[in-house]
Amino acid sequence: MAAAAEPVSGPTYADIDRGVRKIMEAPGFVYWVWVGFCFTLVAIAAALWTRQIYVGLGVTGLRQGPMWAMYITNFVFWVGIAHSGTLISAILYLFRTRWRTAVYRVAETMTLFAVLTAGLFPIIHVGRPWYAYWLLPYPNERSLQPDFRSPLVWDAFAVSTYLTISALFLVMGLIPDVANARDVAKGWRKTLYTILSLGWRGTDTQWQHWSMAYLLLAGLATPLVLSVHSVVSWDFAMAQLPGWHSTIFAPYFVAGAIFSGVAMVLTLLIPMRKIMHLEDLVTEWHIDNLAKVVLLTSLIVSYSYGVESFIVWYGKDPIEMMTFHERYFGPHGWVFWVCIFCNCIAPLPLFSPRVRRNTVVLFIITIFVNIGMWFERFMIIAVSQENNFNPSQWAIYHPSITEIMITVGSFAWFLGLFSLFARFMPIISMTELKEGIHWLREAVRDDYYPGLK
Amino acid sequence: MSGEIDVIGSFANEEMCVHAIEELKDAHIQPTRVFAPIPSEHINHALGYGRSPVRALVLTGGITGILTGFAVTIGTSMEWWLNAGGKPIVSLPPFIIIAFELMILFGGTSAVLGFLLNSRMPQIDPIPGYSERFSSDRFGVLVRCPESEKDRVEGILKGAGGETVVHEAA
Repeated sequence: MAAAAEPVSGPTYADIDRGVRKIMEAPGFVYWVWVGFCFTLVAIAAALWTRQIYVGLGVTGLRQGPMWAMYITNFVFWVGIAHSGTLISAILYLFRTRWRTAVYRVAETMTLFAVLTAGLFPIIHVGRPWYAYWLLPYPNERSLQPDFRSPLVWDAFAVSTYLTISALFLVMGLIPDVANARDVAKGWRKTLYTILSLGWRGTDTQWQHWSMAYLLLAGLATPLVLSVHSVVSWDFAMAQLPGWHSTIFAPYFVAGAIFSGVAMVLTLLIPMRKIMHLEDLVTEWHIDNLAKVVLLTSLIVSYSYGVESFIVWYGKDPIEMMTFHERYFGPHGWVFWVCIFCNCIAPLPLFSPRVRRNTVVLFIITIFVNIGMWFERFMIIAVSQENNFNPSQWAIYHPSITEIMITVGSFAWFLGLFSLFARFMPIISMTELKEGIHWLREAVRDDYYPGLK
Repeated sequence: MSGEIDVIGSFANEEMCVHAIEELKDAHIQPTRVFAPIPSEHINHALGYGRSPVRALVLTGGITGILTGFAVTIGTSMEWWLNAGGKPIVSLPPFIIIAFELMILFGGTSAVLGFLLNSRMPQIDPIPGYSERFSSDRFGVLVRCPESEKDRVEGILKGAGGETVVHEAA
């Protein structure tokens, strides 16, 4: 004879549903103003891109020497942002990390939109976007095929695989939650969620196959995430250019990607948690653990900076030495010191638990990290090209208004898409929170977040 | 009308649901369907399920991806012998990267297709016995049985802690 259901302390399944469904209620005026603002900036960026296509790449600051600059910086930055999403959703899933349940959907959504944003930049950069398909192997009358020994072709395969797998992983996780939303929705939302839930009813066979598919997708996404940013780093490391030609680039880029991505998760999560009153579901326990990941990866990135410089000093190659001297003290030397401050020094207060739990201070630190990591990409990509083996190619890169506004537009595009998703889809996984409800209750009992009492 | 009836018990938590399945099996009654708001290894174990065949599809997809990756890279390189800096025409180390990415792509796509095919989704028709609370905070056990067995099944489900036990024509 089974015992009757005992009353539980802390959140229940119904509390979790109520909390998440509340986010999905009809948004207010301020929300639409924000979304409108984001897409206005996107429209401005699109207009400037149209002009660039019409006039040519002369409207950018690209010139002999620094031929890869802001657009490729944005590409690497956004691919990096995407990585922590897969780390939190896939790698930490395999390790059964308890605190990921409340934050993984935010991270995975961020991944998808960040890869979508990143994917635009090589197309914007090439100048003639209608030839982008040349990177793909397709039958043609002259048997001309892409050179598979080129890292740029590896990149096309890696990033498009990453986009596909991230989208599938997000959709797989969404199906049970969308079905949950379908069962209480009305009007057009009911129709939308009915279509998107694909007839999910949570039967034993559906869960059996879902669990296996989800586990294997996580298993496949784990080596993928490490490979994609390694491949992105080889776009540079395979070249002979001083400042790029480094064997530590793959782990260095992967660590930097996780660092910037987790910081971006916190940048999105902290205001969202406050505005949407999610303190009951995204507790200080979750925020604290994310902050620890930021701190750990900051230390790895700081170590990488040290090792990179040490290798150059130890190698004594005069051109490398000159490139790094210019990196620290040249016309763009300030970029390096911004990186050092934002990526190495600003996160150090996170050693203190009080700082990790102070969401205002934490939010400011994550903004610094976002800025620092964007400039790190800029330093590696653009500043390294300003000094080359050939002095006739030395040039200082100055970004044009077109490049700046398209960069701003990319942030607006990302934030606009994320804001739309957060209001119309379950941005917190109800299923996984329920699966780990014992851990959530433990966090509440341990007074990690007293507000839940 | 076949004289069969669906008896559906609703349970407040996973433990009770598992208990109900075990009680039914002890009485030599196989639950027809179980509904749950979360994936549960305990429920799968109680139902006697093995591992999902999705994994075989993923393995097949992954191997197909590797073979496709090498076929595309080696095949296109052999089609036009492009000598770039004296590198070998068929240069396996870079081709491994393409084969690796396609292994992930094909394997991941197979996982989702395998899930959809095995779960018979997308599914338009409603599933008998489903209640909206089964996607939220309740577990359900459905038994399709002859009408003559109805009272016995109801008794087992209630005895196992069923909050509500309802029946509908099969």
